[in-house]
Amino acid sequence: MTEARYLYCIANGSEQITFGNIGIENNEVYTIPYKDLCAVVHNCPPEPYESEDKEKIKSWIVAHEKVVETAWTRFGTVLPLGFDTIIKSDQDRNAEDNIKKWIKDDYENLKQKLDKLRDKAEFGVQVFWNPKIMGKRLTETNEEIAKLSQDIKSKSRGLAYMYKQKLENLLKKQMEVESERYFKDFYEQIKRWVDEIKVEKTKKSDEGKQMLMNLSCLLSKEKSKVLGEELEKINNREGLFVRFTGPWPPYSFA
Amino acid sequence: MEPVRDVHATLVDLLDRILDKGLVINADVIISVAGIPLIGVNLRAALAGMETMLKYGVMQAWDEKTRAWERERREIGEVPLLEGEEVNFKIFGSYYYSKGIYTAWRSGYIYLTTKRLLLWNREFDDVVFQIDLEKIKAILINQEDLLTKEKKDVLYIVDQDNRVSRLLSTKIDRLKEGIEQSLKAMGLSLEENPVLPAFEKGPISFLMEGEKVTNRGKVWHLPDGGGILGNTWKPGYLYLTNKRLCWWYGFEGRLAFQIPIEEISAAIKERRDLSPVLKDKKVLDVIYNANGTRAVSSFSGKEIEIDEWEKVLNRVIVKGNEAEEKEREACPQCGYSAPVKELLEIGCSKCGWVSARLKRKLVKTPAK
Repeated sequence: MTEARYLYCIANGSEQITFGNIGIENNEVYTIPYKDLCAVVHNCPPEPYESEDKEKIKSWIVAHEKVVETAWTRFGTVLPLGFDTIIKSDQDRNAEDNIKKWIKDDYENLKQKLDKLRDKAEFGVQVFWNPKIMGKRLTETNEEIAKLSQDIKSKSRGLAYMYKQKLENLLKKQMEVESERYFKDFYEQIKRWVDEIKVEKTKKSDEGKQMLMNLSCLLSKEKSKVLGEELEKINNREGLFVRFTGPWPPYSFA
Repeated sequence: MEPVRDVHATLVDLLDRILDKGLVINADVIISVAGIPLIGVNLRAALAGMETMLKYGVMQAWDEKTRAWERERREIGEVPLLEGEEVNFKIFGSYYYSKGIYTAWRSGYIYLTTKRLLLWNREFDDVVFQIDLEKIKAILINQEDLLTKEKKDVLYIVDQDNRVSRLLSTKIDRLKEGIEQSLKAMGLSLEENPVLPAFEKGPISFLMEGEKVTNRGKVWHLPDGGGILGNTWKPGYLYLTNKRLCWWYGFEGRLAFQIPIEEISAAIKERRDLSPVLKDKKVLDVIYNANGTRAVSSFSGKEIEIDEWEKVLNRVIVKGNEAEEKEREACPQCGYSAPVKELLEIGCSKCGWVSARLKRKLVKTPAK
């Protein structure tokens, strides 16, 4: 019934220890060592955790993260796994041995990855702008747009309507150009303060704010202070807003 | 700025990481439902408290482009040379970039090659400036007062269309020498003391991207309202470009007069007394539209030149009138060009767009 193993993360550690019942569904979390690496697991049935109940799922997610962070604190560096990574038992081997075999086969790679991540954490950086403020600024500073705005006033109703369409298209295009420029500028700025960057998909945001860039950054906690200062500068600019999250276990860099 | 780590405030961030990221195991010992996310997309959205999913809008397309850009730039290293092109000289410098609203000195490496002079910015892998060596008509170094109030030597590259590009570098004279030598070796010649000094200093700073000078000459100017207040004729240079009529006042080192050519309504020749001393001189009155009112600027100079200017300007005015008659516009939906009248009264013949007003009219009188 519980012959499979739910895998939370891999860590630098050679002992078999238990963390107690901190796992999903209050399962006991413990380690399976192989040489100087170990897998952090709990025993589970050989099927993924699924539910329609969003509160239940939320508790599973939070538990998963809690386990990874506990292991992080205990072992210093971890390679986190995503939710619902479950190793099964089969005819040849039980789950525990499958895990050991997998670690053995991928040993060098896992060691290298852990080395790379030592003393570092993941931080999320998101930059938003207020499209209304930016649009207004463009109407004032962009010659073509400003002129078109002016021209509309002197045209007949029919022409003015078409000019307005043209203006909207122009504004939309120019906003895209601006957002690309901001992206490139900020990317270059942020790059200087971090060890590694992953560009993530931007997400829909609430009214009045539009996400320009969504980054996952890998850097040490000390460096994150400097990064924080740089982000503060961007956040202080008119029409711009920065969201800085972390430290996370390095999910994006595993 | 401190990073936020509150579970409540960062649930979405956590979801993004735990559900999409993490170490990938290529082992067949994993229990997985291939390709099907274990937490349904809608459920995930609900978890995060979002009502709807990612909206497909302007940011989506840009998003993919940006990510592609980021992927690409990791592989960039070298300046993009053409086949068979070799670098003769390389120096760090900047180019005055003035397209649209983004004007700035953009820096990078200036390369003098066997084929071109170019400036390449490594960070963005962008060829900020380039010109074929054969297209270089003249080069000269001029001192400019830059933003920092320092005087710097700027290298002006004049091309065959008389457009000027400005380059800055610490070893600017070496660059100039290099270009001169390269051109000499290629059998190309440069113009010595290119054109008039005033021409160089003037249009260099006021010509816009895509603007070409079609006519120029030494001409005196009397601005609108002048004459009444006394004799305020001033000497300078008049330029007609494909966009504007402008007059450069050398003494003040600036464009003292300029109007877009569409605003010129007439150019009339006349003989007048310019002053108690200057009697019976040929004058060209240019009538134009300034902020909704008519204004007149007068120009005077050598008779033949004034005659020439009258012809040239009237040609420009006629062309403008013709254009207005057959005024065309781009359909707001598909961009197809058609006469304004047609677009408003019938609609777009290409994509079927009709204006809102026309739509309402059509609804009221349905087709039989």
